Amino acid sequence: MIDIPKPDPSHFAIVVRQLCKEFGGLKAVDGISFDLKRGEFLSVFGPNGAGKTTLIKVLTGLTRPSSGIAKVAGYQVEDGMSEMRRQIGVISHSPALYADLTPMENLVFFGKMYGLDHPQDSALAVLEDVGLAIRRNDQVRTFSRGMLQRLSIARAILHNPSILFLDEPFTGLDIHASNVLKEHLQTLHDNKRTILMTTHDISCGLEMCDKVALQVMGKFAFFKDIKDVDKENFEALYFDAVRNNQFTMDIRPN
Amino acid sequence: MAIVWKDFVTEFKTRELFSAMFIFALLVILIFIFSVNLSIVKASEVGPGILWVAFLFSGTLGLNRSFVLEKENGCLMGLILAPADRTTIYFGKLISNFVFLTAMELFILPLFMVFFNIDLLEHLLPLLLVIFLGTLGFCTLGTLLSSLSSNLKTREIMLPILLYPLLVPIVIGVVRMTGQILAGEPLSGMMNWIGLTASFDIIYIGVSIMTIDHILEE
Repeated sequence: MIDIPKPDPSHFAIVVRQLCKEFGGLKAVDGISFDLKRGEFLSVFGPNGAGKTTLIKVLTGLTRPSSGIAKVAGYQVEDGMSEMRRQIGVISHSPALYADLTPMENLVFFGKMYGLDHPQDSALAVLEDVGLAIRRNDQVRTFSRGMLQRLSIARAILHNPSILFLDEPFTGLDIHASNVLKEHLQTLHDNKRTILMTTHDISCGLEMCDKVALQVMGKFAFFKDIKDVDKENFEALYFDAVRNNQFTMDIRPN
Repeated sequence: MAIVWKDFVTEFKTRELFSAMFIFALLVILIFIFSVNLSIVKASEVGPGILWVAFLFSGTLGLNRSFVLEKENGCLMGLILAPADRTTIYFGKLISNFVFLTAMELFILPLFMVFFNIDLLEHLLPLLLVIFLGTLGFCTLGTLLSSLSSNLKTREIMLPILLYPLLVPIVIGVVRMTGQILAGEPLSGMMNWIGLTASFDIIYIGVSIMTIDHILEE
């Protein structure tokens, strides 16, 4: 029996207990438990294949957990999917935007899918937020990777979600685009949005977050408040995990 | 309706789907025109089969493209994350596919009439009913299976392999009915075939509603 406390929905954004996701015999997520308060920023690091993307897919309801419990925005994943989805925004490797449409058309479409009252106004507002209003009538196909990622943020925050899931958002970005994205994320964090981000970018990830996790072979081998983390030590742990895809160093999983 | 609007805007800009389906259907009919000796066989006997082969083959092209567009750039993930029910996504794609295919069929019919020297105008209403039933069944099952096969590397091969065997009852029904209509028989004489085709349409819609949640799960 999994012991799950009754979280105050106004306090906790994400509550996860003994979460598992198996594909055949492979455990991509293996007994992960953690809480994230509203407005907190969690950076999840880990080598490729550690199960970070699968964790996000389970928490966002894109795939069902094999066992365990996950509550997002007060709703248990699977049960309150529709309501939960109104509360979350997801930014993934792929931008989830139609290349043949313009940014405006894309956002109006997603606005309609989210049942927004004034999708045109909302679309224009978020395009201004991410600095793409001037390109609102150009085809998305013509956008650079950095612009696509900013547009992807616009799509994710269009319905004003309280929780954001970001799956390696810095992948493929040059330094300038990476800095612009970092500024946007910082603004979202300052606006008290809860953020769970997986990344390989240690400096960005540690700089912005309130909590740090290191996922290896499906497990959270490390989960701490940023104030309790020695950054140099953490870097050594991370590189060890990436090199060996397991922990060889002496650490105490939290 | 947002999905239908989005598909229409995309198609209006690219014109990929309609033009590909139309040209393919036209080529199928032309190939049969040259390979069948219409002085030996009656056009009203071979015509229905040729017409439906053109419709179904070109429709398969459209179905393949339909969900591939959603998979590009991870758009399907964006759709699934929306608070809309997954059956809404399915019906949105179904309506788009149905409208595009029906429009293509309406453009092909006059050309078929000219090439085979068959007067379709006097049988137009019953023929439209049969086309409606056949196209609905094809799109209902095709949309479901194209969402399933869009996750596969071999989707272009898998879709027809999965689709055509299950379509056999509908194809038999609509080809028989089209033949009877061209032979001048009234609709009242083919109620069994109408019932059979409509039943399969309903069954496939029911199966789609029951399974689409699991199919669209990553």
